[in-house]
Amino acid sequence: MKIESTNKVKKGLAEMLKGGVIMDVVNAEQAKIAEKAGAVAVMALERIPADIRADGGVARMSSVGIIQEVMDSVSIPVMAKARIGHFVEAQILDSLGIDFIDESEVLTPADEVNHINKQNFKAPFVCGATGLGEATRRIAEGASMIRTKGEAGTGNVVEAVRHMRTITNELNEVIACDENEVVALSKKFKAPLNVLEDIKELKSFPVVNFAAGGIATPADAALMMQLGCDGVFVGSGIFKSGDPAERAEAIVIATTNFNDPKILAEISKDLGEPMVGINIDTLSEEEKLAKRGW
Amino acid sequence: MKVGILSFQGSFLDHSKSVKAINAKPILIKNKLDIHELDALILPGGESTAMKKINEYSDIFLELDKFIKSGKPTLSTCAGTILLAKAVVGGDTVIPNIDIEITRNAYGRQTESFEGSVSFYNNEDIYCFIRAPKITKILSDKVKVIAQHNSEVVGVQQDNIVALTFHPELNNDRYYLDWLESFIKEGENVGTF
Repeated sequence: MKIESTNKVKKGLAEMLKGGVIMDVVNAEQAKIAEKAGAVAVMALERIPADIRADGGVARMSSVGIIQEVMDSVSIPVMAKARIGHFVEAQILDSLGIDFIDESEVLTPADEVNHINKQNFKAPFVCGATGLGEATRRIAEGASMIRTKGEAGTGNVVEAVRHMRTITNELNEVIACDENEVVALSKKFKAPLNVLEDIKELKSFPVVNFAAGGIATPADAALMMQLGCDGVFVGSGIFKSGDPAERAEAIVIATTNFNDPKILAEISKDLGEPMVGINIDTLSEEEKLAKRGW
Repeated sequence: MKVGILSFQGSFLDHSKSVKAINAKPILIKNKLDIHELDALILPGGESTAMKKINEYSDIFLELDKFIKSGKPTLSTCAGTILLAKAVVGGDTVIPNIDIEITRNAYGRQTESFEGSVSFYNNEDIYCFIRAPKITKILSDKVKVIAQHNSEVVGVQQDNIVALTFHPELNNDRYYLDWLESFIKEGENVGTF
């Protein structure tokens, strides 16, 4: 007996990524640097979020050429982004044999009401969330992994922290509540009741939950791990910094040893310039990517 | 009983749950100090390239190698099995201890990952294979086949080491947990297990 692409197999890959770092790359050369630095997976992109932010305009799925170039260049899993609700971009990625699809707010949304029905695909999906309601809605649609949205391309970790704390607090409220309160909490968080019931039974979050959006230093990665994330995505933080290979390695070591300040101090030495950050306060509401998704 | 679990990255927390379920104590190994008076060792699934890289900093594989060669029960799943293989196609040998040739990502990408029936010792159950490697050659007669999927070898035992390409830690079924408990309890006699 052999069945491919079951929910268990999809969630299983996310389990194998735990404790690791997933890095944004725009070509084969960067993908190889990421793999060599100890990334557990790479996200193949045409432009990293900081450049998408700077360039403006419509951000779409990356060119198939770039995605295939990255898939051919490394032996670790390769992820790619589809626009929110753009199920045809997801179909194309699925047909390429991509290892994970990120239905991402970093790209311009294609549907203002519906997310992709993620049950229909062979590849597992990861989706961003700012709180428990959003996370559980994505899980009900078939997401096998969740990440904080953070505020991509800013090098500012504050939004990722806010989202992780919100998810954790709301999760704890569900776990601690009286059984008769689950329906009310489902309404309060706009969270599908069946997923909340699963959480209540498991007494934990039902899928792997990574940090993403604004992580730029080893200390940022360790902060998110200490807040309870299962691993981290680093987007612009690596290849927008002074020495990408060094910084990538340091973030990998920090993610494993997130509880050891001595190691964090040692690896944070001589790292070169981090990416220049953006204060979230200076972004207008329309410029905030975390607002995308429903 | 203290069971060390290599915890650089990967499914170490799933293995930790299995160890707790058999009333043993999981020790998450991240540095040399964690390798102390262990009764058994587990090398989990994950990405072998990442584990190898993280070890360049943590530098514990030599200590793990000594532990494995001391003859105490050692279990590996998926990427852990790649770390222990004497020959690796599509990667480097890391802590070569088991006489097999292994081929990384041999079934293909994630879309080829599957749940499949496995005969594991005397039991048949369904287990996950996730971007799994394949045991492509058995290099000595010290290696005993202990798990098969269809006619493929997916698990072997060599003396004190049991190396699997699938993920029993994602199931934690009764047979696996009972097996794990008795495997660990055998201690240094595990070679004749």
